[in-house]
Amino acid sequence: MGMQLGGANEFNSEINVTPMVDVMLVLLIIFMIVTPLLQQGVSVNLPRDMISPDEDGDIAKDTSVIVAIPDNSNFYIGKEQFPLDALGDVIKRRMEGKTPDKRIVYIKSGVEVDYGRVVAAIETIRKQDIDKIGLVADRKKGAEAPGGAKQ
Amino acid sequence: MGMSTGGSGGASPNINVTPLIDVLLVLLIIFMVITPLKPSRFEAKVPAEPKDQQNVNVKPNPLTLVVAINKETKGITLNNDALGDVSDTEKLYNRLNEIFRDRTNNGVFREGTNEIEKTIFVKSPKSVRYGDVVKVIDAAKAAGASPIGLQIDDLTD
Repeated sequence: MGMQLGGANEFNSEINVTPMVDVMLVLLIIFMIVTPLLQQGVSVNLPRDMISPDEDGDIAKDTSVIVAIPDNSNFYIGKEQFPLDALGDVIKRRMEGKTPDKRIVYIKSGVEVDYGRVVAAIETIRKQDIDKIGLVADRKKGAEAPGGAKQ
Repeated sequence: MGMSTGGSGGASPNINVTPLIDVLLVLLIIFMVITPLKPSRFEAKVPAEPKDQQNVNVKPNPLTLVVAINKETKGITLNNDALGDVSDTEKLYNRLNEIFRDRTNNGVFREGTNEIEKTIFVKSPKSVRYGDVVKVIDAAKAAGASPIGLQIDDLTD
């Protein structure tokens, strides 16, 4: 410890990286813990590299209703699985008291799912007097929204 | 390098942490990139459920654009004009762009408003992959279509 002036025949020219490693380890651990927590619901193979979807921060909110269709046989809201005929009631309950412009149900469907399954979900949704559907898709990195088309 | 036995002032007790830092940095960067993926979505409209007593003789709108997908060939048609297939939506994009530009130049407005009519309906058989349908919606949206309607009733398998 401490710099030795003269005396010893070696000069330590290394940077002390221990604090940096400490900080980075902590950051790393924080990110590792936070990342799985951020992802709500089941994981779905969303359509990727789309050019023109609009960003919508509401999708990540707890109050929004997201129907996930990871494969041809299941429907999820959040992490819970529901049969198709129970879906309507759940959506109705979650939609209570929302202003008309917030009455939108998001659909997260895997790319390999048959369109018919998505249509079946939409059909249930629209029975609850909802006419807006948000099809969740991943935007291509760096793709700009086409001029003026943003809402 | 190498352990010096005796002789010099003392063996260096430091662990070489450089590779550790390298690995950590890379992991850190990976997690930082993954985390803030902002969610985005296509907004689509669905027609209200048809009521029995509904007036059946609705006047067909000549401005309506219907994009349909063929289930066998995966071909795309716009009002019965073939425009490539789902693996290449460029043709559809170009054609829609053209139509919307014409409409803007000629001032074709949606009935009762002063907005250019850019409504599009997407119709697809039930057995088509969802990914293909979204691709078509993406192309239509990129061309400026809004609102995008999904046909729900009377879809073929």
